[in-house]
Amino acid sequence: MPETTAKPWGETKFVGKPIPRVDGYERVSGTAEYPSDVVLPNMLHAAILRCPHGQAQVKRVDLAKAREMPGVRAVLSDADKEAQIPWYAPPGSPGSTGSPTASRLFDPHCRFEGEEIAAVAAETPQQAWDAVRAIRAEYNVLPSVVDMEEALKPGAPAVQESGNRWGAPRETKRGDVAQGFAEADVVLEETYRTSCEIHTPSEIHGSVVRWDGDHLTVWDTNQGPFGIQAPLAAAMSLPLSKVRVISHYMGGGFGSKLNLGKYTVIAAVLARKTGRPVRLFLTREESFRAVGNRPAHIMKLKAGVKKDGTLTALQLTGLGEVGAYPAGTSVGYQVGDLYRCPNVLISESQAFINAGPNRAFRAPGFPQCSWALEQMMDALAEKIGMDPVEFRIKNYSAVCQMQQNKPYTSAGLRECLTEGARAFNWKDARLRSKGSGPWVRGVGVAAGMWGSQSGPPSTVRVSLYPDGSASLNMGAADLGTGTKTVMALVVAEELGVPLDRIQIENADTGTTEFTRPSGGSKTVFADSPAVRSAALEVKARVLEMAAAQLKLPVTDLAFQEGAIVAQGGTRKLAVRELTQLRAQQVVVGVGVRGPDPVDKVVRPFVAQFAEVEVNIRTGETRVLRLVAAHDSGRVMDLLTYRSQVIGGLTMGIGFALTERRIMDAVTGKMANANCHDYKIPTAKDVPADKTVIPIDLHDTECNTTGTKGIGEPATIPTAAAIANAFYHATGIRITAAPITPANVLTLLEERRKRG
Amino acid sequence: MLSQFSYQRAASIKEAAEAASRPDVRILAGGTDLLGCLRNQVLQANRLVSLNGLSALKGIRQGPGGGLRLGALTTLTEIAEHRQILDSYSVLAQAAASVGSPQLRNQGTLGGNLCQRPRCWYFRGDFKCRRKGGDTCFAEGGDSQLHCIFGGASCYMVHPSDTAPALVALDAKVSITGRRGTRLVPLSSFFVLPADSLVKETVLQPGEIVTEILLDPPQPGARSAYRKVRERGAFDFALAGAAIVVAMAEGKVRTARVVLSGVAPVPWRSTDAEKTIIGKPLDAAVAVAAAAAAVKGASPLADNGYKVPLVRGILEETLTALAA
Repeated sequence: MPETTAKPWGETKFVGKPIPRVDGYERVSGTAEYPSDVVLPNMLHAAILRCPHGQAQVKRVDLAKAREMPGVRAVLSDADKEAQIPWYAPPGSPGSTGSPTASRLFDPHCRFEGEEIAAVAAETPQQAWDAVRAIRAEYNVLPSVVDMEEALKPGAPAVQESGNRWGAPRETKRGDVAQGFAEADVVLEETYRTSCEIHTPSEIHGSVVRWDGDHLTVWDTNQGPFGIQAPLAAAMSLPLSKVRVISHYMGGGFGSKLNLGKYTVIAAVLARKTGRPVRLFLTREESFRAVGNRPAHIMKLKAGVKKDGTLTALQLTGLGEVGAYPAGTSVGYQVGDLYRCPNVLISESQAFINAGPNRAFRAPGFPQCSWALEQMMDALAEKIGMDPVEFRIKNYSAVCQMQQNKPYTSAGLRECLTEGARAFNWKDARLRSKGSGPWVRGVGVAAGMWGSQSGPPSTVRVSLYPDGSASLNMGAADLGTGTKTVMALVVAEELGVPLDRIQIENADTGTTEFTRPSGGSKTVFADSPAVRSAALEVKARVLEMAAAQLKLPVTDLAFQEGAIVAQGGTRKLAVRELTQLRAQQVVVGVGVRGPDPVDKVVRPFVAQFAEVEVNIRTGETRVLRLVAAHDSGRVMDLLTYRSQVIGGLTMGIGFALTERRIMDAVTGKMANANCHDYKIPTAKDVPADKTVIPIDLHDTECNTTGTKGIGEPATIPTAAAIANAFYHATGIRITAAPITPANVLTLLEERRKRG
Repeated sequence: MLSQFSYQRAASIKEAAEAASRPDVRILAGGTDLLGCLRNQVLQANRLVSLNGLSALKGIRQGPGGGLRLGALTTLTEIAEHRQILDSYSVLAQAAASVGSPQLRNQGTLGGNLCQRPRCWYFRGDFKCRRKGGDTCFAEGGDSQLHCIFGGASCYMVHPSDTAPALVALDAKVSITGRRGTRLVPLSSFFVLPADSLVKETVLQPGEIVTEILLDPPQPGARSAYRKVRERGAFDFALAGAAIVVAMAEGKVRTARVVLSGVAPVPWRSTDAEKTIIGKPLDAAVAVAAAAAAVKGASPLADNGYKVPLVRGILEETLTALAA
């Protein structure tokens, strides 16, 4: 049934309530089987030898000793025919060896520390690692460059033969910025920098692989098995029908598990070589280097404003850190869209460096942009003597300027700002004494939006059984976000089946239907309308059965709480009383995600507020409280919604205060590839005082569940709000993230010396 | 991934000392440091000798005249929660409570915390530095933001322990047992600067084991505190810290010990700061003067100049707090 025929929900019975996860017990008790838990009979364990240098040409790989080690069953290197698999080809052209940046599985030119050189499969993980350490590899160590500005200087070591600048600068232009700056009363310019962040999901990347004849089955920790199946089939030269990827549970990805990993292909080749299942999971250290990051960015932002608060021009010149192979770094979108501004010029460049290529990371580009744009908005507001919240409301845009001024299906930025400010007690907090030191307090705000992806395609099945229980079959993975719970709520809402009577099968290319992987905060708004449509089809079939049985027209019947009720409530038929259903034992509804609106744009909006205290003697910064007001459309489950936002705030605290990859410039190696030197926030870094405010404008046009996605918006403006609060507390504009004691003390000393 | 090793649970201190005298053997207590070193191939070991069966090394006992004897296997949690330590040696309780995370404190021991290896990211990482037999200190040309501003030479690591500066400030002694008997060493002489050795951080000889830490009875009028600054709220080592013990008499400082963490390859005692406050009332002006005295002679590297104002800030704040 096409999803578009569904009417918007009115009052809901299940949807929107705070409902605990359907698989909470399994996840907490440890009975949930994650891919890294999978143990198969006769399974081998694999490990990878990686390049220990920032850049090197592998001269020789001597596997003789490793091959003789106890327990070793197979070794694999660039010398093997089976390993000649193209990699890092530009997106959309798998296997394109003509590309100037094309590489292969074990390419002898290693462009970053951690590139794959060889692999071993052995009876135990320990034997595999002993054998990896016994491989003798000889390198011609090449000069490396790990700083993007250095990489673009003449004479810098070449990361890619085609040059360290990836592509020409991409420009987005609207109006005339020169004209805009001329019209402005105040023009400010500042350069902002953000650091490279690592995803660090709880479950590290890896796969367990098994061949049954020429059928390949993979238990893989990813954000959607269909995103892995197609490139894996291409790499192994198999039809889709012979590649099954299973990801029932997975322990977090944040964007780093949308891609096919080399580890999966290596495991598949080793498994074929040995005729045995192979498990290949990375170590934490490997995951820091080789499976993605949020690229560092340098953003020069110039902005013009009139005294009355009207923005006249925004100009962003950005440079993004690609890593050693092509991976996009764009940050500009919000500059062009979040605030009404007639004159915009965005110019973005990208530089290769000798480090692992970046990957999508929770709202790719957006937190970086917010760090710059929202601090600039704060500075402009101060210059013209306007309240930062008022200033943002004044420049709020009701139309999507990046898409020919199309209206949004719903646009709640103004409500996010006003409701958030109310909950935060913004006006009073702003005026409160900052304290006399050493701890000083301040408050800040930042707004944001997310550029959602499109909804389709998604195909979902819902089945109803004669005892009134149901099953939900969908391709989407549950990243720990509560996807299974949210989708089951849709079935419960439409069919009146309680959650504990719904069986869920998901994220298995062998048993479920296609949906794109969970990225772009799209899962709820892409898949829940398809679930709803499947449930509605079941409902329609059931009503037809009841009409035949009761000899009444279908139009006289309604489906209420798992039973069929005739108009006026005179007759009632339970699902288990349907003779036709008993005869056929199941009713199957297939739902397909309908198209997105054509003449309107779907976007979630956010405003977040932070209070911090800063010790002006020691440079310590603590976040005291946070308020997050989000227009992400309808809330499907208030509990998982809150959890998502708190997770986003936590990640934003890391971006603002503690997280950064440190590359050693001399060796080109990562200095802090471990969990104590790379600092994700702990419970002590996250304030207990967090308020999540859903703003629901009852969007009936975005899709049939009224949802717009919350995962990424939750982390977009957090760091910027913290930076603005830091400025309010100290009077120091900290343009480079993260706000560490070292950075703060350096700025405090500079101010002291200036007097 | 750990390499292969054998495991031996020592039945006596003597057996452990004998086993530990071989270069391919490592002593295992809580394991929170050693296992990480082995996993990351920072150290090699063919055998681990566990002390965990030795009850003589566990727990806190009364010492002569009101002092305390802390068994080397006493966990950091036990130290942090012990009533008498909280009351009379607060600097030590605070230091122990600031280590790592609850899990690490439950597992980590006091002896192990004193004997832990450097946390320099080059030493812990895949860099063959001087302390691992190489010919380079990577901090010299590399990223030195976490490195030392005092006492560096050829190696610029900082001593990672929080309890060590607290114990130096308390003038603790450490009891060491080896094959040839037991010796008592003041903790202030226990640690070794890079100028004296580039491969070890303590005076321990092969086969020697820390068995006990001895605390003198608290001085009359003693006040103490440990202040640690780190980048995140838990599970983090000190960017810099200070352990301070002062004894007051008639409104003036009678004795003082000021020992810094996170700024030198050993717990760094600042006698200049001590001299500045002894004989004076503990007030804001004295605190500022002592803080300034403490950073005299600091020689920062390229990226750690911030540690100079940081130490100053920590001392101003902590001395002022102790005055109250």
